[in-house]
Amino acid sequence: MTEPRSSPSARPAKRVSGTRPYRLPNEIGVIAALIAMMVVIGVSRPRFLNPINLLSILGNTTFLGMLSIGMVFLLAIREIDLSVGWIFNFSAVFSALLMVADVDPWLAALAGVFFGAALGLVNGILAVTLRLPAIIVTLGTFSMFQGLSLVVNKGRAVVPPEQASGYFTFVSAKLFGVVPAPAVLFVALAILMHFVLHHTRFGYRVQAVGSNPEAAGLAGIPTALVRLQTLVLMGAICGLSGAMYVGFRGAIDPNEGSDFALVVIAAVIIGGTPLSGGSGTILGAVVGMLIIQVISSGLIFFGIEATWSTFVTGAVIVMAVSLDQLIKFQRARRADRIKGGG
Amino acid sequence: MPESSILAVRNLAKRYGGVTALQGMNLRVERGAIHAVVGENGAGKSTLMKALAGVVRPDSGTIEIDGEEVAIDSPGAARNLGIGIVYQELSLFPQRSVLANLFVNREPARFGLVSRQAMEERSRDLLDRLGLRVDVREPVGLLSIGEQQLVELCRVLLEEPRLLILDEPNSALNKGETERLFEVLRQLRARGITMLYVSHRLEEVFAISDAVTVTRNGRDVLTKDRSALTIPEVIEGMIGQRREALFPPRIEQRADRAPAEIVVKGLNGGKLRDISFTARSGEIVGLAGLEGSGVSNLLELLFGALKAPSGEVVYPDARGLPRNPTEAARRGVCLVPADRRRQGLMLEKSVLFNLGAVMVGARQSGPFYSVRGARERAMRQISRLFIKARSPDSLARELSGGNQQKVVIGKWLETAPRVFLLDDPTRGVDVGAKREVYDLIRQMSADGGIVLFCSTELPELVGLCDRILVIYQGRMVGELSGREIESGTVLHLINTGEAPRSAKSEHD
Repeated sequence: MTEPRSSPSARPAKRVSGTRPYRLPNEIGVIAALIAMMVVIGVSRPRFLNPINLLSILGNTTFLGMLSIGMVFLLAIREIDLSVGWIFNFSAVFSALLMVADVDPWLAALAGVFFGAALGLVNGILAVTLRLPAIIVTLGTFSMFQGLSLVVNKGRAVVPPEQASGYFTFVSAKLFGVVPAPAVLFVALAILMHFVLHHTRFGYRVQAVGSNPEAAGLAGIPTALVRLQTLVLMGAICGLSGAMYVGFRGAIDPNEGSDFALVVIAAVIIGGTPLSGGSGTILGAVVGMLIIQVISSGLIFFGIEATWSTFVTGAVIVMAVSLDQLIKFQRARRADRIKGGG
Repeated sequence: MPESSILAVRNLAKRYGGVTALQGMNLRVERGAIHAVVGENGAGKSTLMKALAGVVRPDSGTIEIDGEEVAIDSPGAARNLGIGIVYQELSLFPQRSVLANLFVNREPARFGLVSRQAMEERSRDLLDRLGLRVDVREPVGLLSIGEQQLVELCRVLLEEPRLLILDEPNSALNKGETERLFEVLRQLRARGITMLYVSHRLEEVFAISDAVTVTRNGRDVLTKDRSALTIPEVIEGMIGQRREALFPPRIEQRADRAPAEIVVKGLNGGKLRDISFTARSGEIVGLAGLEGSGVSNLLELLFGALKAPSGEVVYPDARGLPRNPTEAARRGVCLVPADRRRQGLMLEKSVLFNLGAVMVGARQSGPFYSVRGARERAMRQISRLFIKARSPDSLARELSGGNQQKVVIGKWLETAPRVFLLDDPTRGVDVGAKREVYDLIRQMSADGGIVLFCSTELPELVGLCDRILVIYQGRMVGELSGREIESGTVLHLINTGEAPRSAKSEHD
């Protein structure tokens, strides 16, 4: 029977307690994996553990990492956005072109963020009005955004002139002389978004819609609006990442971002956010992205060709999901044994 | 004696970890009888059936078939012994054809190829006898639930079992489909098939069975011929305590609550045409109708989940129909949907999370979600509704049906709604929890709420409602109140759309 455990005599639930007993966070597994990986590389190649190297890994993680933070919200609402790489690219191109056109770089960067949000809005309006999953819509907008970006940048890198201005020095600055500014912003965004996911009504609604859209709708949650908001948020984060990228690298290559979507989704999944929706972990996504970066830079330390990193990343995804599935399977078995049948 | 018994179970015991599912369960089934096993969820009846089907291995005790002790250690062994089982949950492949479903994993082959013709030949006769007249090449998913249930039954019958186990086969069926199923079961009995019929719908148990075994806490409490049993006796056996009636007495509306009403005039939408009625606070208005009559459309329309092309409706707040569920939730209209697993709950989320769905999802303003507030809310509803959960952080999936339903109701009660739209709120809920749900419904009404209560179980409509509106093929065919609420009249109206004798419909 599907509904065991109930006897009419024992009425009030006495064991219910008001406070949640302390538990290790679910992310402990990926964090342990990241540390283990760093220790293994560090023991054989001590130079890897040099703080400057580690911080540069963190710095490299920033731009993709930001996207993975947004993607957590999408997976949590049971959606996937494939167009993130091109929203990133197009927004970067947009703000770089504004800078070329002599707009104040700060303003141009801000415009890039709004531009990204606008592209997210396009995705959102299409998905909501056509009642299509975002993955279908963004399969199309993936190429649309890429195409438009190419039209605008004419297939060449866009390089803003006069990079001595405040915006560029700010983004490429190093806190205490070592910590790259984008890394600081990345961590700040992660903390902010963690808060948004768990302590705002928006975050609650995202999880509710992702867990069961029909029940969410019948509980009065405006599901279409929440989906729209999530896609706009994703776009804005892509825009932010793109605008910062222009400041950090001083240019935007026409192909930058082409392979972002899958890496970003991979990081989120490695981090432990389920594809089935309903929940998500920002911390997991950040750690997942770090794992991917540590692998690719670790391979360099071992003198293995960087071309292997794509393969290894894939292998790690497969390992992570198998491990996750194994743990779930074990939990389900334990729960079954405790529950018993009716 | 042993000659006439096809099955004898003695002292069967089974533990899952710390939970005892069966302890000293006995059962003796006479050949050619329909033997009902009743009990609340958790009474052990499903575990017993699983043991007989070879899905679960008992810790101790014996099972005898035809007087010989047997070990049923796998589903295959059960099949070889002539035991077939129809589970509560359909286990069909919706995208595949009826035929493909009937012969899953034992497709007859000709020249090494699956032969559709052979399948049709073998199943035609049986399908005819079951009264299942459908295109066997159509996907099963296109059939009604009742027809799907018959497909499932047919699949098991193709194995030609001597002992057929039906584990709550009618939980998804409406009245008409249930009648048809019973007709089929009677035919099978006439052909000498013995049946074990598991259910907690007593009315139906009494309609179909020859003998009844009542189970409680993993034991058999009493076994009698149906003719020697009464419903109160069975209920008492199931819940183990004497009780006057299943239905709580009427509570008068609290004097400090202002009277309110919903006035519906000429409402169209979904399957419904020209529906008019008035529902007032302090009364429970029942909505009766067969599945497909459009009766659940009415609740969807009133909740804004379905668009109404025309009609005039005035709510207590003097406004019309809500445009969408969000607006409904904000205006104090609540809907407890019929399919709580699909429409009512986020199964993979905690009780705490679910209890906040309306409050946080639709009602509160301000951007923040207070974890502490959510916990307080959860504790309040858990103790108020006696929700049995290990903690507020338990997943909704882990609760029993009755407790899940209380969570669905609790998330609405938290917002103090004024209009309650209840769509079959006791479906799949055991007797003990049903009584608690009835208490809650009485309370909603006494607190000044307008209660519209739709149900597929006639006894609860009769036992609970002050008025019953009957809907037949999308039209309102009757409104019964007071002494008119008598099963015979209502049943007749529901099934035929016409009043039996004089009493014609009286609209407001």
